[in-house]
Amino acid sequence: MVIQLGVSIALILGVTWLARQLALGRDVRLRSEDEARALARAAVCGFEPAALVLDRAGIGALLRDAQGRTMLLRRHGAQFAARLLDNHADTRLDRNFLTVGTGERFYAPITLDLGDQAQVWAASLRRLSN
Amino acid sequence: MPKLGPVEIAIPFFILAIIAEMLWARRKRPDAYEPRDTLTSLALGTGSTAVGALTAGFVVAALYWLYDHRITTIGWAWWAWIACFVLDDFNYYWAHRTGHRVRWFWASHVNHHSSQHYNLSTALRQTWTGFFALSFIFRIWPAFVGFNPAMLLTVGAINLVYQFWIHTEAIRRMPRWFEAVMNTPSHHRVHHAVNPLYLDRNYAGVFIVWDKMFGSFVTEDGDTRIHYGIVKQLGSFNLVWSVFHEWIGIARDMVSAPWRHKLSYLLREPGWSHDDSREGSDKIRARWEALNRPAD
Repeated sequence: MVIQLGVSIALILGVTWLARQLALGRDVRLRSEDEARALARAAVCGFEPAALVLDRAGIGALLRDAQGRTMLLRRHGAQFAARLLDNHADTRLDRNFLTVGTGERFYAPITLDLGDQAQVWAASLRRLSN
Repeated sequence: MPKLGPVEIAIPFFILAIIAEMLWARRKRPDAYEPRDTLTSLALGTGSTAVGALTAGFVVAALYWLYDHRITTIGWAWWAWIACFVLDDFNYYWAHRTGHRVRWFWASHVNHHSSQHYNLSTALRQTWTGFFALSFIFRIWPAFVGFNPAMLLTVGAINLVYQFWIHTEAIRRMPRWFEAVMNTPSHHRVHHAVNPLYLDRNYAGVFIVWDKMFGSFVTEDGDTRIHYGIVKQLGSFNLVWSVFHEWIGIARDMVSAPWRHKLSYLLREPGWSHDDSREGSDKIRARWEALNRPAD
Protein backbone atom coordinates (compact mmCIF):
# COMPACT_ATOMS: atom_id res chain seq x y z
CA MET A 1 0.00 0.00 0.00
CA VAL A 2 2.90 2.36 0.74
CA ILE A 3 4.31 1.68 -2.74
CA GLN A 4 0.87 2.31 -4.31
CA LEU A 5 0.61 5.60 -2.41
CA GLY A 6 4.10 6.63 -3.53
CA VAL A 7 3.32 5.83 -7.17
CA SER A 8 0.02 7.74 -6.92
CA ILE A 9 1.72 10.83 -5.51
CA ALA A 10 4.37 10.68 -8.26
CA LEU A 11 1.62 10.43 -10.90
CA ILE A 12 -0.30 13.34 -9.37
CA LEU A 13 2.78 15.54 -9.40
CA GLY A 14 3.58 14.44 -12.95
CA VAL A 15 0.09 15.29 -14.25
CA THR A 16 0.14 18.66 -12.45
CA TRP A 17 3.57 19.41 -13.91
CA LEU A 18 2.23 18.55 -17.37
CA ALA A 19 -0.75 20.89 -16.85
CA ARG A 20 1.70 23.69 -16.07
CA GLN A 21 3.92 22.84 -19.06
CA LEU A 22 0.89 22.97 -21.34
CA ALA A 23 0.09 26.44 -19.93
CA LEU A 24 -3.41 25.35 -18.90
CA GLY A 25 -5.42 27.58 -16.60
CA ARG A 26 -4.66 30.82 -18.37
CA ASP A 27 -4.16 34.14 -16.63
CA VAL A 28 -7.85 34.98 -16.40
CA ARG A 29 -8.94 38.64 -16.06
CA LEU A 30 -12.22 40.48 -16.08
CA ARG A 31 -12.27 42.06 -19.52
CA SER A 32 -15.34 44.25 -19.15
CA GLU A 33 -18.03 45.44 -16.80
CA ASP A 34 -20.50 43.24 -18.65
CA GLU A 35 -18.42 40.18 -17.85
CA ALA A 36 -18.32 41.15 -14.16
CA ARG A 37 -22.09 41.67 -14.16
CA ALA A 38 -22.69 38.27 -15.74
CA LEU A 39 -20.45 36.54 -13.21
CA ALA A 40 -22.17 38.34 -10.32
CA ARG A 41 -25.60 37.32 -11.58
CA ALA A 42 -24.41 33.74 -11.89
CA ALA A 43 -22.90 33.76 -8.38
CA VAL A 44 -25.98 34.93 -6.51
CA CYS A 45 -29.41 34.39 -8.05
CA GLY A 46 -31.32 37.66 -7.95
CA PHE A 47 -28.25 39.87 -7.61
CA GLU A 48 -28.66 42.56 -10.26
CA PRO A 49 -25.64 44.88 -10.22
CA ALA A 50 -26.57 48.56 -10.07
CA ALA A 51 -23.04 49.88 -9.56
CA LEU A 52 -19.64 48.31 -9.97
CA VAL A 53 -15.96 49.00 -10.10
CA LEU A 54 -13.33 46.83 -11.75
CA ASP A 55 -9.79 46.35 -10.58
CA ARG A 56 -7.52 47.98 -13.18
CA ALA A 57 -5.81 44.67 -13.90
CA GLY A 58 -9.11 42.79 -13.94
CA ILE A 59 -8.33 40.46 -11.04
CA GLY A 60 -11.50 41.36 -9.17
CA ALA A 61 -14.44 43.70 -8.82
CA LEU A 62 -16.83 45.18 -6.31
CA LEU A 63 -20.51 45.33 -7.19
CA ARG A 64 -23.59 46.69 -5.47
CA ASP A 65 -27.24 45.95 -6.18
CA ALA A 66 -30.36 48.03 -5.67
CA GLN A 67 -30.93 46.40 -2.27
CA GLY A 68 -27.57 47.76 -1.09
CA ARG A 69 -25.85 44.37 -1.05
CA THR A 70 -22.15 44.50 -1.91
CA MET A 71 -20.39 41.64 -3.65
CA LEU A 72 -16.69 40.94 -3.94
CA LEU A 73 -15.73 39.07 -7.09
CA ARG A 74 -12.24 37.67 -6.73
CA ARG A 75 -10.07 35.66 -9.09
CA HIS A 76 -9.59 32.08 -7.99
CA GLY A 77 -7.29 30.13 -10.29
CA ALA A 78 -8.81 30.31 -13.75
CA GLN A 79 -12.25 31.17 -12.36
CA PHE A 80 -13.86 33.80 -10.15
CA ALA A 81 -15.38 33.22 -6.71
CA ALA A 82 -17.84 35.67 -5.18
CA ARG A 83 -18.90 36.67 -1.69
CA LEU A 84 -21.57 39.03 -0.42
CA LEU A 85 -19.87 41.31 2.09
CA ASP A 86 -21.50 41.79 5.47
CA ASN A 87 -18.79 43.68 7.37
CA HIS A 88 -15.78 45.87 6.71
CA ALA A 89 -13.44 44.48 9.35
CA ASP A 90 -10.86 43.39 6.77
CA THR A 91 -11.13 46.48 4.57
CA ARG A 92 -8.03 48.68 4.22
CA LEU A 93 -7.60 51.75 2.00
CA ASP A 94 -4.21 52.85 0.73
CA ARG A 95 -4.66 55.65 -1.81
CA ASN A 96 -5.92 53.92 -4.98
CA PHE A 97 -5.69 50.46 -3.48
CA LEU A 98 -8.51 48.90 -1.51
CA THR A 99 -7.89 45.64 0.32
CA VAL A 100 -11.11 43.69 0.81
CA GLY A 101 -11.57 40.54 2.87
CA THR A 102 -14.45 38.56 4.26
CA GLY A 103 -13.00 37.30 7.52
CA GLU A 104 -13.03 33.77 6.09
CA ARG A 105 -9.71 32.07 6.66
CA PHE A 106 -9.64 30.29 3.32
CA TYR A 107 -11.12 33.02 1.12
CA ALA A 108 -8.08 35.24 1.07
CA PRO A 109 -8.36 39.06 1.07
CA ILE A 110 -7.55 40.78 -2.20
CA THR A 111 -6.05 44.19 -2.91
CA LEU A 112 -7.85 45.91 -5.77
CA ASP A 113 -6.47 48.85 -7.73
CA LEU A 114 -9.62 50.92 -8.10
CA GLY A 115 -8.06 54.26 -9.05
CA ASP A 116 -10.02 57.26 -7.81
CA GLN A 117 -12.98 54.98 -7.05
CA ALA A 118 -11.12 53.33 -4.17
CA GLN A 119 -12.11 56.01 -1.66
CA VAL A 120 -15.73 56.01 -2.80
CA TRP A 121 -16.06 52.25 -2.37
CA ALA A 122 -14.14 52.28 0.90
CA ALA A 123 -16.65 54.76 2.23
CA SER A 124 -19.57 52.62 1.09
CA LEU A 125 -18.05 49.51 2.68
CA ARG A 126 -17.66 51.38 5.97
CA ARG A 127 -21.43 51.53 6.13
CA LEU A 128 -21.48 47.76 6.57
CA SER A 129 -21.48 46.61 10.19
CA ASN A 130 -18.15 45.77 11.77
CA MET B 1 0.31 -11.02 -6.46
CA PRO B 2 -3.04 -9.50 -5.36
CA LYS B 3 -5.93 -9.72 -7.84
CA LEU B 4 -6.73 -6.39 -9.44
CA GLY B 5 -10.31 -5.08 -9.41
CA PRO B 6 -11.99 -3.03 -12.17
CA VAL B 7 -10.87 0.27 -10.62
CA GLU B 8 -7.20 -0.75 -10.30
CA ILE B 9 -7.21 -2.00 -13.89
CA ALA B 10 -8.75 1.28 -15.06
CA ILE B 11 -6.31 3.65 -13.31
CA PRO B 12 -3.66 3.71 -16.11
CA PHE B 13 -6.42 4.45 -18.62
CA PHE B 14 -7.71 7.23 -16.36
CA ILE B 15 -4.28 8.87 -16.38
CA LEU B 16 -3.90 8.50 -20.15
CA ALA B 17 -7.39 9.92 -20.70
CA ILE B 18 -6.61 12.93 -18.48
CA ILE B 19 -3.43 13.58 -20.46
CA ALA B 20 -5.37 13.29 -23.74
CA GLU B 21 -8.00 15.73 -22.44
CA MET B 22 -5.25 18.14 -21.38
CA LEU B 23 -3.87 18.07 -24.92
CA TRP B 24 -7.39 18.79 -26.22
CA ALA B 25 -7.71 21.63 -23.69
CA ARG B 26 -4.43 23.16 -24.82
CA ARG B 27 -5.78 23.53 -28.35
CA LYS B 28 -9.46 24.27 -27.65
CA ARG B 29 -10.08 25.31 -24.04
CA PRO B 30 -6.97 26.28 -22.02
CA ASP B 31 -9.19 27.31 -19.11
CA ALA B 32 -10.74 23.84 -18.84
CA TYR B 33 -7.85 22.86 -16.57
CA GLU B 34 -6.09 24.73 -13.79
CA PRO B 35 -2.96 23.03 -12.40
CA ARG B 36 -3.75 23.76 -8.72
CA ASP B 37 -7.32 22.58 -9.18
CA THR B 38 -6.06 19.40 -10.85
CA LEU B 39 -3.58 18.85 -8.02
CA THR B 40 -6.37 19.20 -5.45
CA SER B 41 -8.68 16.86 -7.36
CA LEU B 42 -6.06 14.14 -7.80
CA ALA B 43 -4.93 14.45 -4.17
CA LEU B 44 -8.55 14.04 -3.09
CA GLY B 45 -8.73 10.92 -5.26
CA THR B 46 -5.57 9.43 -3.80
CA GLY B 47 -6.64 10.22 -0.24
CA SER B 48 -10.03 8.69 -0.90
CA THR B 49 -8.41 5.50 -2.18
CA ALA B 50 -6.15 5.32 0.89
CA VAL B 51 -9.05 5.85 3.31
CA GLY B 52 -11.10 3.36 1.30
CA ALA B 53 -8.37 0.74 1.66
CA LEU B 54 -8.31 1.26 5.43
CA THR B 55 -12.09 1.01 5.82
CA ALA B 56 -12.89 -1.58 3.14
CA GLY B 57 -12.66 -4.38 5.69
CA PHE B 58 -15.61 -3.00 7.64
CA VAL B 59 -17.75 -2.65 4.52
CA VAL B 60 -16.86 -6.18 3.37
CA ALA B 61 -17.61 -7.52 6.88
CA ALA B 62 -21.02 -5.80 6.81
CA LEU B 63 -21.71 -7.24 3.36
CA TYR B 64 -20.86 -10.78 4.48
CA TRP B 65 -22.87 -10.40 7.69
CA LEU B 66 -25.92 -9.50 5.58
CA TYR B 67 -25.13 -12.35 3.16
CA ASP B 68 -24.87 -14.82 6.03
CA HIS B 69 -28.41 -13.83 7.03
CA ARG B 70 -29.75 -13.75 3.46
CA ILE B 71 -33.31 -14.74 2.66
CA THR B 72 -32.36 -16.58 -0.52
CA THR B 73 -29.32 -17.37 -2.66
CA ILE B 74 -29.21 -15.82 -6.11
CA GLY B 75 -25.95 -17.34 -7.35
CA TRP B 76 -23.72 -16.51 -10.30
CA ALA B 77 -26.02 -16.89 -13.32
CA TRP B 78 -25.52 -14.37 -16.15
CA TRP B 79 -28.88 -12.76 -15.44
CA ALA B 80 -27.86 -12.30 -11.79
CA TRP B 81 -24.97 -10.08 -12.91
CA ILE B 82 -27.33 -7.91 -14.96
CA ALA B 83 -29.90 -7.74 -12.16
CA CYS B 84 -27.19 -6.92 -9.64
CA PHE B 85 -25.76 -4.16 -11.84
CA VAL B 86 -29.17 -2.55 -12.42
CA LEU B 87 -30.14 -2.84 -8.75
CA ASP B 88 -26.81 -1.37 -7.63
CA ASP B 89 -27.25 1.55 -10.04
CA PHE B 90 -30.75 2.12 -8.65
CA ASN B 91 -29.25 2.15 -5.15
CA TYR B 92 -26.53 4.51 -6.35
CA TYR B 93 -29.21 6.91 -7.61
CA TRP B 94 -30.87 7.09 -4.18
CA ALA B 95 -27.56 7.25 -2.31
CA HIS B 96 -26.49 10.08 -4.58
CA ARG B 97 -29.81 11.90 -4.34
CA THR B 98 -29.68 11.65 -0.56
CA GLY B 99 -26.08 12.84 -0.75
CA HIS B 100 -27.40 16.09 -2.17
CA ARG B 101 -30.54 16.45 -0.08
CA VAL B 102 -29.37 15.56 3.44
CA ARG B 103 -26.56 17.75 4.76
CA TRP B 104 -24.94 14.89 6.71
CA PHE B 105 -24.35 13.00 3.49
CA TRP B 106 -23.67 16.19 1.50
CA ALA B 107 -20.79 17.02 3.87
CA SER B 108 -19.09 13.91 2.54
CA HIS B 109 -20.13 14.22 -1.11
CA VAL B 110 -19.48 17.98 -1.51
CA ASN B 111 -15.78 17.24 -2.17
CA HIS B 112 -16.73 15.85 -5.56
CA HIS B 113 -18.50 19.10 -6.49
CA SER B 114 -16.24 21.78 -5.07
CA SER B 115 -14.15 22.29 -8.22
CA GLN B 116 -15.20 25.15 -10.49
CA HIS B 117 -13.78 23.13 -13.36
CA TYR B 118 -15.33 20.14 -15.07
CA ASN B 119 -12.81 17.77 -16.53
CA LEU B 120 -11.67 14.17 -16.16
CA SER B 121 -9.61 15.01 -13.08
CA THR B 122 -12.85 16.14 -11.42
CA ALA B 123 -14.07 12.54 -11.67
CA LEU B 124 -11.28 11.44 -9.35
CA ARG B 125 -12.17 14.15 -6.82
CA GLN B 126 -13.66 11.73 -4.31
CA THR B 127 -14.60 11.93 -0.66
CA TRP B 128 -12.41 10.97 2.29
CA THR B 129 -15.34 10.80 4.69
CA GLY B 130 -17.81 8.52 2.91
CA PHE B 131 -17.24 5.68 5.37
CA PHE B 132 -17.71 8.00 8.34
CA ALA B 133 -20.95 9.31 6.79
CA LEU B 134 -22.12 5.67 6.37
CA SER B 135 -22.97 6.32 2.71
CA PHE B 136 -22.30 2.64 1.94
CA ILE B 137 -25.48 1.52 3.71
CA PHE B 138 -27.51 2.38 0.61
CA ARG B 139 -25.66 -0.19 -1.48
CA ILE B 140 -25.04 -3.21 0.72
CA TRP B 141 -28.60 -4.39 1.40
CA PRO B 142 -28.83 -6.56 -1.77
CA ALA B 143 -26.51 -8.98 0.03
CA PHE B 144 -29.40 -9.67 2.40
CA VAL B 145 -31.60 -10.45 -0.62
CA GLY B 146 -29.03 -12.99 -1.77
CA PHE B 147 -26.59 -11.25 -4.13
CA ASN B 148 -23.04 -12.40 -3.47
CA PRO B 149 -20.86 -9.70 -1.85
CA ALA B 150 -18.12 -10.23 -4.45
CA MET B 151 -20.66 -9.61 -7.21
CA LEU B 152 -21.89 -6.44 -5.47
CA LEU B 153 -18.36 -5.11 -5.04
CA THR B 154 -17.57 -5.85 -8.69
CA VAL B 155 -20.64 -4.14 -10.15
CA GLY B 156 -20.11 -1.19 -7.78
CA ALA B 157 -16.58 -0.80 -9.07
CA ILE B 158 -17.74 -1.02 -12.71
CA ASN B 159 -20.33 1.66 -11.91
CA LEU B 160 -17.57 3.92 -10.57
CA VAL B 161 -15.34 3.29 -13.59
CA TYR B 162 -18.22 4.10 -15.98
CA GLN B 163 -18.72 7.48 -14.36
CA PHE B 164 -15.15 8.59 -15.08
CA TRP B 165 -15.56 9.43 -18.77
CA ILE B 166 -18.70 11.52 -18.33
CA HIS B 167 -16.75 14.25 -16.50
CA THR B 168 -15.73 16.14 -19.60
CA GLU B 169 -16.61 19.13 -21.73
CA ALA B 170 -14.79 17.65 -24.69
CA ILE B 171 -17.81 15.52 -25.69
CA ARG B 172 -20.90 17.51 -26.54
CA ARG B 173 -23.60 14.92 -27.17
CA MET B 174 -23.74 11.17 -27.69
CA PRO B 175 -26.17 9.54 -30.17
CA ARG B 176 -29.81 10.17 -29.28
CA TRP B 177 -30.56 6.56 -28.27
CA PHE B 178 -27.55 6.61 -25.93
CA GLU B 179 -28.54 9.94 -24.36
CA ALA B 180 -32.03 8.54 -23.77
CA VAL B 181 -30.87 5.63 -21.62
CA MET B 182 -27.36 6.23 -20.35
CA ASN B 183 -25.74 8.89 -18.22
CA THR B 184 -23.55 11.00 -20.50
CA PRO B 185 -21.21 14.01 -20.33
CA SER B 186 -24.14 16.26 -21.25
CA HIS B 187 -26.41 14.93 -18.50
CA HIS B 188 -23.66 15.01 -15.91
CA ARG B 189 -22.54 18.55 -16.77
CA VAL B 190 -26.04 19.54 -15.64
CA HIS B 191 -25.47 17.69 -12.38
CA HIS B 192 -22.23 19.59 -11.64
CA ALA B 193 -23.71 22.97 -12.59
CA VAL B 194 -24.72 25.67 -10.13
CA ASN B 195 -27.04 27.36 -12.62
CA PRO B 196 -30.35 27.62 -10.70
CA LEU B 197 -32.33 25.40 -13.08
CA TYR B 198 -29.68 22.68 -12.95
CA LEU B 199 -29.20 22.51 -9.16
CA ASP B 200 -29.86 19.07 -7.66
CA ARG B 201 -30.71 17.40 -10.95
CA ASN B 202 -29.46 14.35 -12.88
CA TYR B 203 -28.27 12.16 -9.99
CA ALA B 204 -27.82 9.06 -12.15
CA GLY B 205 -24.74 6.89 -12.09
CA VAL B 206 -24.96 4.75 -15.24
CA PHE B 207 -28.61 4.80 -16.35
CA ILE B 208 -30.23 8.24 -16.71
CA VAL B 209 -33.64 6.54 -16.69
CA TRP B 210 -33.80 6.79 -12.87
CA ASP B 211 -33.87 10.59 -13.09
CA LYS B 212 -36.60 10.40 -15.71
CA MET B 213 -38.59 8.00 -13.54
CA PHE B 214 -38.24 9.99 -10.30
CA GLY B 215 -38.63 13.53 -11.66
CA SER B 216 -35.07 14.81 -11.31
CA PHE B 217 -34.08 14.93 -14.98
CA VAL B 218 -33.15 18.11 -16.83
CA THR B 219 -31.76 18.32 -20.37
CA GLU B 220 -28.67 20.45 -20.94
CA ASP B 221 -29.46 23.66 -22.79
CA GLY B 222 -26.56 24.00 -25.19
CA ASP B 223 -26.95 27.79 -25.36
CA THR B 224 -26.58 28.41 -21.62
CA ARG B 225 -23.10 28.85 -20.16
CA ILE B 226 -22.65 26.38 -17.33
CA HIS B 227 -21.01 27.49 -14.09
CA TYR B 228 -19.59 24.56 -12.12
CA GLY B 229 -18.91 24.07 -8.44
CA ILE B 230 -21.00 24.70 -5.36
CA VAL B 231 -23.42 27.50 -4.49
CA LYS B 232 -20.86 29.11 -2.18
CA GLN B 233 -17.63 28.52 -4.09
CA LEU B 234 -14.68 27.52 -1.95
CA GLY B 235 -12.30 30.15 -3.32
CA SER B 236 -9.42 28.03 -2.03
CA PHE B 237 -7.26 25.13 -3.20
CA ASN B 238 -6.47 24.08 0.37
CA LEU B 239 -6.78 20.29 0.42
CA VAL B 240 -7.77 19.90 4.08
CA TRP B 241 -10.35 22.68 3.84
CA SER B 242 -11.74 21.03 0.70
CA VAL B 243 -12.21 17.77 2.59
CA PHE B 244 -13.68 19.06 5.83
CA HIS B 245 -15.28 22.49 5.19
CA GLU B 246 -18.87 21.26 5.23
CA TRP B 247 -18.33 19.12 8.34
CA ILE B 248 -16.87 22.20 10.04
CA GLY B 249 -19.84 24.24 8.84
CA ILE B 250 -22.26 21.69 10.32
CA ALA B 251 -20.41 21.72 13.64
CA ARG B 252 -20.45 25.53 13.80
CA ASP B 253 -24.15 25.66 12.93
CA MET B 254 -25.06 23.00 15.48
CA VAL B 255 -23.13 24.81 18.21
CA SER B 256 -24.73 28.19 17.50
CA ALA B 257 -28.30 27.06 16.65
CA PRO B 258 -31.13 26.97 19.20
CA TRP B 259 -31.62 23.49 20.67
CA ARG B 260 -34.75 22.64 18.73
CA HIS B 261 -33.03 23.36 15.41
CA LYS B 262 -29.69 21.66 16.00
CA LEU B 263 -30.55 18.33 14.37
CA SER B 264 -32.07 20.10 11.37
CA TYR B 265 -28.62 21.44 10.49
CA LEU B 266 -27.53 17.82 10.24
CA LEU B 267 -30.48 16.20 8.56
CA ARG B 268 -32.18 18.82 6.40
CA GLU B 269 -31.08 19.92 2.96
CA PRO B 270 -27.87 21.91 2.45
CA GLY B 271 -28.62 25.64 2.58
CA TRP B 272 -31.42 25.27 5.12
CA SER B 273 -31.31 27.64 8.08
CA HIS B 274 -33.73 28.12 10.97
CA ASP B 275 -33.85 31.90 10.47
CA ASP B 276 -34.25 31.78 6.67
CA SER B 277 -30.96 33.61 6.22
CA ARG B 278 -29.69 31.13 3.63
CA GLU B 279 -31.00 29.52 0.51
CA GLY B 280 -30.98 25.91 -0.64
CA SER B 281 -31.45 24.71 -4.19
CA ASP B 282 -35.27 24.72 -4.09
CA LYS B 283 -35.42 28.36 -3.04
CA ILE B 284 -32.76 29.42 -5.53
CA ARG B 285 -34.60 27.67 -8.35
CA ALA B 286 -37.94 29.21 -7.29
CA ARG B 287 -36.38 32.67 -7.25
CA TRP B 288 -34.83 32.15 -10.66
CA GLU B 289 -38.16 30.98 -12.09
CA ALA B 290 -39.94 33.98 -10.57
CA LEU B 291 -37.38 36.36 -12.05
CA ASN B 292 -37.45 34.72 -15.47
CA ARG B 293 -41.16 34.01 -15.75
CA PRO B 294 -42.48 35.34 -19.07
CA ALA B 295 -44.71 38.39 -18.60
CA ASP B 296 -48.45 37.66 -19.11
